[in-house]
Amino acid sequence: MGRFVLRRLLQSVVVLLGVTLVVFLLLQLVPGDPVRVALGTRFDQQTYDALRERSGLDRPLVVQYLSYVGHALTGDLGVSFRSGQPVTTIVLERLPATLSLAVTAVLLALLVAFPLGVLSAVRSGSFVDHAARVFSQFGVSVPDFWTGIMGILLFAGVLGWLPPSGYVALTDDPAGWASHVALPATAVGLVTASILTRFIRSSVLEVLAEDYVRTAEAKGLRRRVVVVRHVLRNALIPVVTVVGVQLASLVGGVQLASLVGGVIVIEVLFAWPGIGRLTYDAVQARDYPVLQGAVLFVATLFLLTNLLVDVLYARLDPRIRLR
Amino acid sequence: MTRSRIIAAALAVALTGLAGCSAGESVDVDGGSTAAGSAGGTLTAAIGGEPDQLDPHRTSAYYSFQVLENVYDTLVEPDADLKMGPALAAKWTTSSDQLTWTFTLREGVRFSDGSPLTAQDVVYSYQRIINEKLNAAYKFATVKTVTAPDPATVVITLTAPTPNLLANLGGFKGVAIVQRSNVESGAIKTRPVGSGPFTVASYTSGDTIKLTRNDAYWGPKPKLDGVTFTFVKDPTVALQNLRGGEVQWTDNLPPQQVPALKEDGAVTVATTPSTDYWYLALNEARKPYDDVNVRRAVAFALDREAITKAAKFGQATANQTAIPKGSSWYYDYTPYRHDPDQARQLLGQAGVTGRTLDLMVTSEYPETVTAAQVIAAQLKDVGITVKIRTLDFAQWLDEQGKGNFDAFLLGWLGNIDPDEFYYAQHRTGGTFNFHGYSNPAVDTLLDQARTQTDEGVRRQTYERAAKQIVDDASYIYLYNPDVVQGWSAKVTGYQVRTDRAIRFRDVTLNR
Repeated sequence: MGRFVLRRLLQSVVVLLGVTLVVFLLLQLVPGDPVRVALGTRFDQQTYDALRERSGLDRPLVVQYLSYVGHALTGDLGVSFRSGQPVTTIVLERLPATLSLAVTAVLLALLVAFPLGVLSAVRSGSFVDHAARVFSQFGVSVPDFWTGIMGILLFAGVLGWLPPSGYVALTDDPAGWASHVALPATAVGLVTASILTRFIRSSVLEVLAEDYVRTAEAKGLRRRVVVVRHVLRNALIPVVTVVGVQLASLVGGVQLASLVGGVIVIEVLFAWPGIGRLTYDAVQARDYPVLQGAVLFVATLFLLTNLLVDVLYARLDPRIRLR
Repeated sequence: MTRSRIIAAALAVALTGLAGCSAGESVDVDGGSTAAGSAGGTLTAAIGGEPDQLDPHRTSAYYSFQVLENVYDTLVEPDADLKMGPALAAKWTTSSDQLTWTFTLREGVRFSDGSPLTAQDVVYSYQRIINEKLNAAYKFATVKTVTAPDPATVVITLTAPTPNLLANLGGFKGVAIVQRSNVESGAIKTRPVGSGPFTVASYTSGDTIKLTRNDAYWGPKPKLDGVTFTFVKDPTVALQNLRGGEVQWTDNLPPQQVPALKEDGAVTVATTPSTDYWYLALNEARKPYDDVNVRRAVAFALDREAITKAAKFGQATANQTAIPKGSSWYYDYTPYRHDPDQARQLLGQAGVTGRTLDLMVTSEYPETVTAAQVIAAQLKDVGITVKIRTLDFAQWLDEQGKGNFDAFLLGWLGNIDPDEFYYAQHRTGGTFNFHGYSNPAVDTLLDQARTQTDEGVRRQTYERAAKQIVDDASYIYLYNPDVVQGWSAKVTGYQVRTDRAIRFRDVTLNR
């Protein structure tokens, strides 16, 4: 397994190199001049030229790219056009907020989706099944920012139970963190829960139709034992992948499988100082180094998550061997 | 049983998370930021976005200046009527040829770290802007030398008389006096050191900037212990924060709710006319907008009242010139009434029929998007089909720079001296003259007014220029928005300013 992990890590470096190239080229295609955005509306030509030169944007594209990759290989992702701060510092500063939001959202989602998905599969066609399907339809149809705003108006506005926005670090004040994370995590978690419910339901249904399940039932095992011992064990293997991918895509704020909106909008709405809002601001300002850094970071996270999922697979399913 | 253990662990963590969430009921919604026991407390202010950086000479973002207004000083500064008055400079004299200005600094001014602020710091700050060609370099276009003959005296010599020199040196904190060591260490980007009433204590990226009182401040001692800025983009969320007491001040209120908020009285909402103006510009490099009659036709076709109402929900005043009534440079001139017949007639004379107009607006300023829809309806009435193009600001600026538009909508903000708002926009080849307006008569007037030291003559010159600009419909001015800010009942001593400068130095927070 050690060799497997090592080989995968080496492959990742190549993938990441590809990511930097694609992102770099894409940024060149996006209209918008970072120098003009940085200067606003009042400046003269000399000022424009000076900033362009200082930012290194006057150099040929090939030089810009090679110098970026060269520095990136030594761990230097450059400095932000906007703030002049090192990109690595900026991204790492924003990581805890996003991670804590994404993890909470996925845990909340699992808490709902796991029992709901399993019940709705086991009691297929029952009232619970119908309710679960309505719920998951609702969850994927309603945009998370809408549930977010409704949550703010109800729980912060009318009831006054929760703060409308903002962030407190988990390590500083766990209770404060929890009260601040509740609304955004619920808004994101609702979407994730809906996706997971559907997925768990179909996965369990599939396993229920397997021959060994019929055999288990035929030999007189109780339904509960069959479900817990024979069905869930097998049905949950693909679920691990989905949970992993959901988590990674939430952190990255990427539109994965066209279902997950990511946390960008929610972070902006709730004034949550995470990677999503960083990305949003960087796009607005055409802050290339920060965008490149954030994408590179998210790509790394994706690769690592996938690797972790594969390793977990082998642990969960003895039939799978890592080579 | 590895698998079941994993699942059990996941469930356990999930349950802990849920338990944590329900603890949220005990949130202190009663202004958790007021530090008990101290004199003034800490005011939390929600602004609409995050500063890009805190180096006053390198940022152009209004969000940065909202913070920096409370951290830095300029040589002079505008009072409530935007007249320039003493700040770091206690007094100044001008030579008879108007080419040498001598400023005497206030005694005993210190930076917030305790080091003295001397004339050398002023020289350093201005030379930094000029030599490194930073954002405000254009404000020093006529400055020949800046010297410090002694620690309390700054002498500025000019290549031409510059009647708006004071506005250039104090109009905003982009020309603030910075500390050399703070710049050279690079700390100025996140931990700037100024001489203003507050100083930056911490900056958490994406979250908050915390200011604490500068006890070395030369002016009256600020009453607040500190000010915390939070960045809340969504106005509905900002309002909820204000209502719930999480913040005590915001300028990010949903415009459609302002009238109701004013009546409701739970929070204080104050408005004052700003010197900002919003306008429509037609691209004179493109036919048929090079024809003054076509531009005038558009000006007659617009119902400014309707546009203003739609874009700003009544928090603005329609205007046909740049600057609003009550401001010292106001010029009363209203040649255009809403007259579609006149517009059609002018268009007919110009031979324009069935025209499609590409109107570029930006989502950065949602009011331009709303205004564009009203304008489209009004122009349809005179036979012009408007195609609205909504872009993000970066792309919008790109298109504007390339001249890829028939028309655009934008605002010009924080205006103090007319040179600032006429020269760049209407002088042939001006730095913001992207619509290609060129009238030699206006050029001459603007050049003369720039160096005209007689205030009366200067005013007349600008009025003649303003009249010509409006008659030529170089810009079709639409309205002056109000500055709208809201604060909690606990806040006293705050004044809404027409230039949108946010000063917390006189504010008290009552318990």
